[in-house]
Amino acid sequence: MTGAICTTAIWFSRSMHTPTERPQPTLARASWAVFQKDLRAELRTRYALNALVMFALATVLMVSINLGSQLLGSEPLTPLVNAVLLWIVLFFAALTGMARAFVQEETAQTAALLRLHAPPLAVLIGKWLFNTLLLAGLTILTTLTFGLLMSLHVGNLPLLLVVLGLSSLGLATTTTLIAAIIAQANVRSALFAPLAFPVLLPLLVIAVQTTDLAFSGAAWNQALANVQLLVAYVLLTAASTMLLFPLVWEA
Amino acid sequence: MTTPQIRLELDRISKSYGQRSVLHNIAAEVETGEALLVTGHNGSGKSTLLRLLAGLQRPTGGTIRYIAAGITYSPLRAQGLVGLVGADVQLYRELTADEHIDFVARLRGLSLTPQLRNGELERVGLGGRGTEQVGGFSSGMVQRMRYVLALLHRPPVLLLDEPTTNLDQEGIAMVDEIVAEQRQQGLLVIATNDRRDLHYGDLVLTLDAHTN
Amino acid sequence: MTAKVAITLWMIGVTAAMFLLVPAQQGLGNTGRIIIFHVPTAWLSELAFLVSAVWSALYLWKRRPVDDDRALAAVEQGFLFTILATVTGAIFAKVVWGSFWNWDPRETAILVLLLVYGAYFALRSAIDDLERRRQLAAAYALFAFAMAPLLTFVVPRLSDSTLHPNCAFLQTATCKGITLSANGVGALGETILELRGIRHEGDLVTADVAARRGGGDATLLQPSYNTHTGQQVVQPKLAGTNFMLVIKQVNGDGSIFLNQQAAGNQSQLGNLRTLGTFLASLLGFTGLFWWIWKLRVNVMGLRRELTLDGLR
Repeated sequence: MTGAICTTAIWFSRSMHTPTERPQPTLARASWAVFQKDLRAELRTRYALNALVMFALATVLMVSINLGSQLLGSEPLTPLVNAVLLWIVLFFAALTGMARAFVQEETAQTAALLRLHAPPLAVLIGKWLFNTLLLAGLTILTTLTFGLLMSLHVGNLPLLLVVLGLSSLGLATTTTLIAAIIAQANVRSALFAPLAFPVLLPLLVIAVQTTDLAFSGAAWNQALANVQLLVAYVLLTAASTMLLFPLVWEA
Repeated sequence: MTTPQIRLELDRISKSYGQRSVLHNIAAEVETGEALLVTGHNGSGKSTLLRLLAGLQRPTGGTIRYIAAGITYSPLRAQGLVGLVGADVQLYRELTADEHIDFVARLRGLSLTPQLRNGELERVGLGGRGTEQVGGFSSGMVQRMRYVLALLHRPPVLLLDEPTTNLDQEGIAMVDEIVAEQRQQGLLVIATNDRRDLHYGDLVLTLDAHTN
Repeated sequence: MTAKVAITLWMIGVTAAMFLLVPAQQGLGNTGRIIIFHVPTAWLSELAFLVSAVWSALYLWKRRPVDDDRALAAVEQGFLFTILATVTGAIFAKVVWGSFWNWDPRETAILVLLLVYGAYFALRSAIDDLERRRQLAAAYALFAFAMAPLLTFVVPRLSDSTLHPNCAFLQTATCKGITLSANGVGALGETILELRGIRHEGDLVTADVAARRGGGDATLLQPSYNTHTGQQVVQPKLAGTNFMLVIKQVNGDGSIFLNQQAAGNQSQLGNLRTLGTFLASLLGFTGLFWWIWKLRVNVMGLRRELTLDGLR
């Protein structure tokens, strides 16, 4: 902490210093500041939170109203159909919620403030943390309500948790970069789905397949290859997002 | 006195949006102690030029250089050297004035005690308003907050876009003071059409229109 | 100008050869000829993806507008060739496999390409600031390209096997088949095979294979193979699939190598005239691709110059 006191002294003396002497923000501190700022603003307005929760509930209810009543008398849906339905809900909920992180900054013209003061990677990490948190909450909520309303049977619960966790990470990472791209375009919301879908397709395919395995109670060794692919997707998107985000942000 | 020198060079800057040209072949040089006044009618590209200088946009042609201590920085790398006050830098409506200052200080790696923070607010006449959300501020108060945030890291380069917009007499006096102080420590680029602001600058760059 | 004439004549020649030199394929008739056009266009639409990624990366590095022109022209070409490949493929698929679209892995892959190209155009048209447009488009092209290797792992998982003749189309390539000894059991895709017996009648080897798919009943299939000529004599259809069960090889230890393949996949390029026509077509389409790409880059460069001149 002595370093901090030192920079304060230099800073407060109002003397000019050369750029090399200027206080250097640490990436972790700056990222956390961005995350906290977003979280605080969100908790005060709850725009995204309310919209997302309502969206998720509405879609789950929509599925349940139409299918749930049929389930009583007849055959239950196959695990694959359940997995597809769950992921349709999750995918569109993510598309609804994830764009806000950047689009809001651009429409409210607050992005300039971030560009002037924040290191680009701090913006990425802060926004990514916020999006991941939001999506994780959304995934838990959606899966729970979906499971209850559709009387879902989960054969391999730990596998389901792993799949949902990894997929949420991948989904949050990809959509964070795509949101940063579309935030700077004219027709923002209309662009999100077309840009995100092709790059999310690999993730969605494996996520649906592995969720199917988890519902039908497959053993771990059956799902291992899928889990590896999910990890590969997360790592690949994380690496390319880290490399490309500064170029997108400074465009 | 050894005031560190900073120098801004604009070399044949042009900027166009699609087919529309906003700036064409702009050249200028500004040094510590000088203030460049950018004038021109509405739509002549004053704000665009300042956005280019702040690294918020990229020029279509030409280069912008900041030279400090023998090192050349592009606008994108000059984040620590530049402060910008302008109407297109908006604040977060949901956050308080104090939270804004803390946020920028943490992004910049500055350590800030509550006393220092209050000092910053008092300097622009916002003393005691720190815990109010910016969404409830008047446009003049928002403009004052912009000065606080732009000056927080004591930038050697200060870019002012319409500096006295929305400010009352007291606010204009505050800008006078800030400009005078900045001229001793670095340089200024001021975009304005307001006659009252003309005395701030000694170099004048007039942007003529390129209408096609 | 010479390039235009040369490419036109060359493509006319290829088209003529496609009908005159290439023999009609057993089981496919004239439809089989379309692969002479289909395969090169499909390859080039994937090449365009690579080309656009390379120039996009170069633009982000050097920021020369001409590199962005090159990337954009490559995406335009990719889009064009993707559509050509999809249309020719769909015609072939309708005739041979019974439907225009089958969610075959390669069809999925090319669909993703189409979506990426479409998104790229949509993104560009939504940004006014030229520098921003170029930079964001380049970043998106690179991001999509970075996802491509993953797609090659993921897409084949969508269906257990491919209608596309990976294995039989080029003689050197091999599909994953299975080797079974008498009473051996193995899986070919989702079909479980049990080899009940092998009968030898002179050069002719006939296998009794019980095939079971899902929880269904086993059906007895009797593929046969001539060890002297190396020809598959009988290729029974695998129930529930679009494939034939074939004996690819009879081993010395009495085991046989079984595989599945789509109708009409017998090593078409084994025929020298067909191979020649195919290579000529590949060359012609590559020339066409390169020529239009170059032309588009020149036009874009010229337009840029004119805009700049108009501003002076």
